[in-house]
This record gives sequence, structure tokens and C-alpha cells, in this order.
Amino acid sequence: MKLRIKREDLLVPLQRVIGAVEKRQTLPALANVLVVARTDNSVAITATDLELELLAENEATVEAAGEITLPARKLLDICRTLAEGAEISLDCSEGRATVRATRSRFSLATLPAAEFPALDDIQGGVTFKITSAALKHALEKTAFSMAQQDVRYYLNGLLFEVHGDVARLVATDGHRLAMHEIRENLAVDEVMQVIVPRKGVHELQRLLDDNDSEVDIQLTANHVRVLLPGLRFTSKLIDGRFPDYQRVMPQGGDKYMLADREGLRQALQRASILSNEKYKGIRMVMGGEELKIQTHNPDQEEAEEEFEVEYRGDPLEIGFNVTYLLDILATIEGERVQLTFKDTNSSCLVEDARDEALGQYVVMPMRL
Amino acid sequence: MPQPWSRIVAHADMDAFYAAVEQLDNPDLRGRPILVGGHSDRGVVLTASYEARPFGVGSAMPMARARKLCPQGVVVPPRFARYEEVSALIMGVFEDFSPHVEALSLDEAFLEMSGAGHIFGTPTDMGRRLKAAVFEATGGLTVSVGLSATKYVAKVASAHAKPDGLTVVAPEQARDWLAPLAVARLWGAGPKTQRRLAALGLHTIGDLVRAGREFLEANLGSTGTHFHELAHARDPRPVARRHSAKSIGSDRTLAHDVSAREAIRVHLRRSADAIARRLRHKGYLARGVRVKLKTSDFQLLTRQCRLPEATDVADALYTTGIRLLDEFAHPGPFRLVGMAAYDLNRDTDLQQLDLFDVHQRHRQRRLEATLDDISERFGPGVVLRANALADASRVAAAPTLDFLDEDACEE
Repeated sequence: MKLRIKREDLLVPLQRVIGAVEKRQTLPALANVLVVARTDNSVAITATDLELELLAENEATVEAAGEITLPARKLLDICRTLAEGAEISLDCSEGRATVRATRSRFSLATLPAAEFPALDDIQGGVTFKITSAALKHALEKTAFSMAQQDVRYYLNGLLFEVHGDVARLVATDGHRLAMHEIRENLAVDEVMQVIVPRKGVHELQRLLDDNDSEVDIQLTANHVRVLLPGLRFTSKLIDGRFPDYQRVMPQGGDKYMLADREGLRQALQRASILSNEKYKGIRMVMGGEELKIQTHNPDQEEAEEEFEVEYRGDPLEIGFNVTYLLDILATIEGERVQLTFKDTNSSCLVEDARDEALGQYVVMPMRL
Repeated sequence: MPQPWSRIVAHADMDAFYAAVEQLDNPDLRGRPILVGGHSDRGVVLTASYEARPFGVGSAMPMARARKLCPQGVVVPPRFARYEEVSALIMGVFEDFSPHVEALSLDEAFLEMSGAGHIFGTPTDMGRRLKAAVFEATGGLTVSVGLSATKYVAKVASAHAKPDGLTVVAPEQARDWLAPLAVARLWGAGPKTQRRLAALGLHTIGDLVRAGREFLEANLGSTGTHFHELAHARDPRPVARRHSAKSIGSDRTLAHDVSAREAIRVHLRRSADAIARRLRHKGYLARGVRVKLKTSDFQLLTRQCRLPEATDVADALYTTGIRLLDEFAHPGPFRLVGMAAYDLNRDTDLQQLDLFDVHQRHRQRRLEATLDDISERFGPGVVLRANALADASRVAAAPTLDFLDEDACEE
């Protein structure tokens, strides 16, 4: 295999796929990227951790087609530190790869391409197109609620549900839930529900462009594949049943609070300074036109914030982990938020006060 | 005329605690070298009595080695329930002396004694009274006590004249008192750091004072700053009123190595039962579970995960442990199987409610609490799980090491 490529043309695809390379691998080949030089003057670079596979392509001058795997981090570091605009030549023969650029020469260890585990071929399922920016935003508005290392493994990911012209993203760690919808012409006839693992969600969020271009999505029983310009994202799915999120959407709330989002966020932030470090508990006392936010900690320190709101319903006292509320208030974009409550032990619904908002957030209270 | 102390902190540490309790309960063992730990050659020494220590035996030493060094030593299996009972007595005594008691383990605590002078007299009087009160409450156990104006110096002082020691270090003398001591006495200086310090020519705490802050920071970064403060006997940390251990665990060094999943499960089941019982007994709830496997070549592997809801139910711990088992790629064989519950909180603490609450768990808890009662009244082993009956024949009695420790997350 032999090819020539501009530094930037190699650096960009490497940076895009590096997220799939685990720091601690179970197989030696997983520390490497698969480099395939094709006769049509293109190069494909693939990284995988056996769950997530990222394949990036770019143009290159291919003198001899072939494939090989190279140490991912080292190759990236070499590219990154070479001078801008440098021309790189990559030459592999007899188990060693030589990278040359102007006055630098690196000889790298390789592993045969056959040792690189490719994901199973993906067939069938449903395919549709979605706007890149819409998907990126929906991920940003939900991913923060995913569980982490939870024993309920199906929560350590994000539910992606598509039906008709609606794609719905749901994430929950059992204490709070975030849901966001994308409404555009998707035309998916059947109801598809898949759980994308945490890592894939974060990588996809990073890789998606914030523009109106469309990406192709393929959902099968075991995989999700997203085709972006110059990049193929493939992730295995979490094999499990996501809980029925519709069932936990708050019903029957009869107490409403309308508040300035940024003002509320700042008041909560201040009050949280003196909350219990571990539980981050705060008490919200509502009645009339005023919200009182109270916190105290084991050192007997206390904080109280008063904040003007519009409140409708019987007076209510309710406790929350303040970080859950702060996460949501940082995610919602509108100027005003609406919180709907039922009682001290029931979940609270938080929404952007604008009618056209597509997100809903649920937080379970804390017993104080 | 000595100056009044700005602050008074006591550190009390029981002498060879487990061994001393055994000698207290069994007069035949008094004056004899005893090794508390599993009988099997594969176990470790949990505590060696002072009579055994001249033979070079120490805690955490493999039992086989200890018996070679000290063949006349009597091996006594540990009785944790009894140690906890005695521990409760001791902590009760500590609480008579101060409202601020920070328990570090079953047999060790800091006491904030500032402002108690008018009740207990000088720091030396306080130490004497504390020792006498522990001796009396336990019927004859000794404690070593260190008093100074900081937690750090108090702790070093209590270890200074073990056993049955009392070391009082006045604040203005603390720096000079520390100076000749080896750097191993620095809080946070493990063997690796000690080697680094030695390489820099720093052997005593006084060497660090002379080296100066800039030198220490340049060579050790923030650790250097920390050591510089300690070497000057400065340690602002308050005595935290805290009884919470960070983890409760149960490890089993096995008589025969195991590889089969089913065999490992048996041990996890027993560990989960033991841990849950201790959680309930102490009124703790755990938010995390960790499984530990040690391979036959002594490689320690751990996997851990968080629970959706704090629990003290064995079934919840066990199910999680089994899931974690799937994450170990190593095929075995293993010589140790262990489990620990971590992220512990008092069950009266605030409680985050869950969206997908499982009522099943509360029923299971009632069942297990009932079994606790039965064991308490009629002795352990009266009620067994049906599958444990079959397992009993397959699993050789394994010496277990149950721990309630400060920080078991070292891996």
C-alpha cells in the first residue's frame, strides 16, 4: 500500500474517528485504525471498540491500493504535530509502515487488516433522512439525562423512537427524564424503537454538523447507522426494553408556576451553594406570587431565596435535587419556563413556556 | 508556663483490637501470641497480638507465612459481630467525652476536645481519663491516645507509644516533635512517595521543613504543598461528626480456586447476605456494588456499578453482583471472591424518589429483616436458602474477611 495525502486531509478523518478508540482495549487491534487505500484515489479510516464503529473517508493520491492497521493515537499525534499543509506519504510493506513528510520520517508497527474486527454487515430495517442540526439539537437536549453505569443497563443510553413524521428522543436515569421531538418529513411507516448506547450518543452529537444538510439513518434490529458527509457512524444497540416513558409522564398536575428561566436558574444556583453536597436537596415553597427556595446542609448553614413567579393552585412544598433542575433550565432555550406540579411525592413537568417547544422534562422529587 | 492550646484534638486507637478482644473473652489466650484470621494457609492475618509481634508477624501477612514465623501462635478465627459489639461500647465512651467523634473504623476515632478543659482538665488529664474510661467500659482493653492541636499530629502521636500509650504534643512543640520522625509518618506518603522523597534526600519530616516549600512544590507539585503543611504541623481539617463508613464488604479467600460461574455465584450469594445484614444492622443504605476477583496469580480485578435506588436488600446486591460478573473477561481460576457495598448513607437521610419504583424490593426487604430476627433469636444457620443446602457440600468453609472500611476504592 502506498499513498500521498495532505496533512489536513488525513488529520480531519483521524480526529473524527478517534473517539471510537478505547484507552484500554481488550484486543490489540482495537488500539489501531484500519487504513484502506482504494484505486479510486480515496482512503478510508476506521476505528472501533466493537460496539461503535466510525469510518471516515477522504481523497488521497493512491499509488498502490491496500489495507493495513496502524496505531491510532500515534498516527493522530504525528499528523497533528506536522507542519500545516505538509504532504504526507504513507508506505506499508512487510509489516512496517513508513510515514514521511518533508524532513520527518516515522516507522510504525502494524497489524494485518484481517485482525481488525469489522462490524457485522447491516441489512434491512428502516431508512429515512433527517436534518443534521435538528438531530444534533435533540441529542443535546436529552443526552444529559442518560444514566451512567446503572444496573438497569437499558437506561445507559438514549431511546430513539420513530413513527410517521415524528422522531422522539428520550433519556432517563430514573430520577429525571428528558424528551424531545423532531417533526419533519420522515415517512416511517412502522414504529421503530431503539436504544443507542451512551458512547454512541456522545460521539454522534460531536460529529453531526449544525446545519440544514440531511443525514441518512438506518435502524435495524441490532444496529443504528448514520451516514454523514464523509463519515459512516455505526453503533450496536442496547438489547433491552426501555421503560414505558409515556406511563411516567406526569398526569393530573393542577399547580402551575411560570417563571423567568434565567432568573430562576440563578436563584437555584445561589441556593445550591449551601445544599447538602451529596444530595443537593432544595425545598421549594410555593403560594401566591412568590417562590421560596430553601436549602440547608449538615453544617447547619442555610440559604433562602425569594423569587417572583406566576403561580396558580394550592400552596405546595416540594423537594428536589437542584442539579436536575439546573440541568433542565440550562437546556431550555425560551425566556420563560412552566413547571407543573401535582403533590409533594409526584413528578414535576418542566417545559419551555412557548407553545412551539418540542421538549418535555420530568423530575422526581426528593423526600426531605 | 505553657500556653493554652488553640485547639485540642485527640486520636484514640485500640491496641491490637481483634486480638485483644479474643484475649479478653478467653483467659486461656492471655499472654500468648495469637493470630486472628482464617485457619486455612491461604488466609491473611487480620490482627496479631502484641505477644506475636516480636516474631515479625503483622497485619495483612499471609497466614502461612505468619505461622512459619511464629509456630507457637494460636490461630483464632475472627468474630466480627463481637468486635462490632465492643466497638459500640468504645464509641459510646468517646461520645461521653465529646459531641464531635469521627470514627475511622471499628477501633479508631478522632475526638474534638477543644473547650473541654474545664470538664476534663489539661490535655494530659483528658488522655488519662479517656484511657481509663475505655479500660473500664470494656473490662480491660487498652487504647493508645495522642493529643495535639491538629488531627495529623494527634494521629501520629497515638501511634508513637503503642501499646497503652499516651502522647501529648503541645502545639508550639509540634513541629520540633515531628522533625526526627521518618517521612513514612506523613499522611499520604505511601511506599512509592517515600522512595521519591528518599531520592530527593528527604528522610525525616525535619528534612522537609529544611527543604522549604518551593523545593517541595517544584519536585512534588501539590503533594509537596501538602507535605510542607504537615511538616509544619499545620492541618486545618475539622473533626467531622461522622460514623459513615464508605463501604461494607465481604471477601472470601477460598480453600480451592474456582472458575465456574456457579461456584462464584455461591460466594457472591453469601457475601450479599452478609453485607445486607450488616447494612441493616447499622442502618445504612448502599448506592453502589463492587465485585472483586483475585486470580490465582494474585491479579486483583474489580468491577462496580451504581444502583438505581439505595438499598440494604441482599437480593438487590446479589442481582447486581451477578450482572457485574459478566463484565469480567478473565476466565479464572480465582482464589478470592469478594463483594462490597459502597456509597453508604443513613437510611434516615433524604431520599430521591424514582420514576420507575419497584415495589417488589420493599417486600423482599421485609422478608430479609424477618430472617435477621430469626437468626438473632435462634442463631445463624437456622434458616437457610434452599439452594444453599445443596451448595454447602460443594463449598469448603472459606475464611472470610468482612470489612467496614474507610476507603476501599484503592483499585
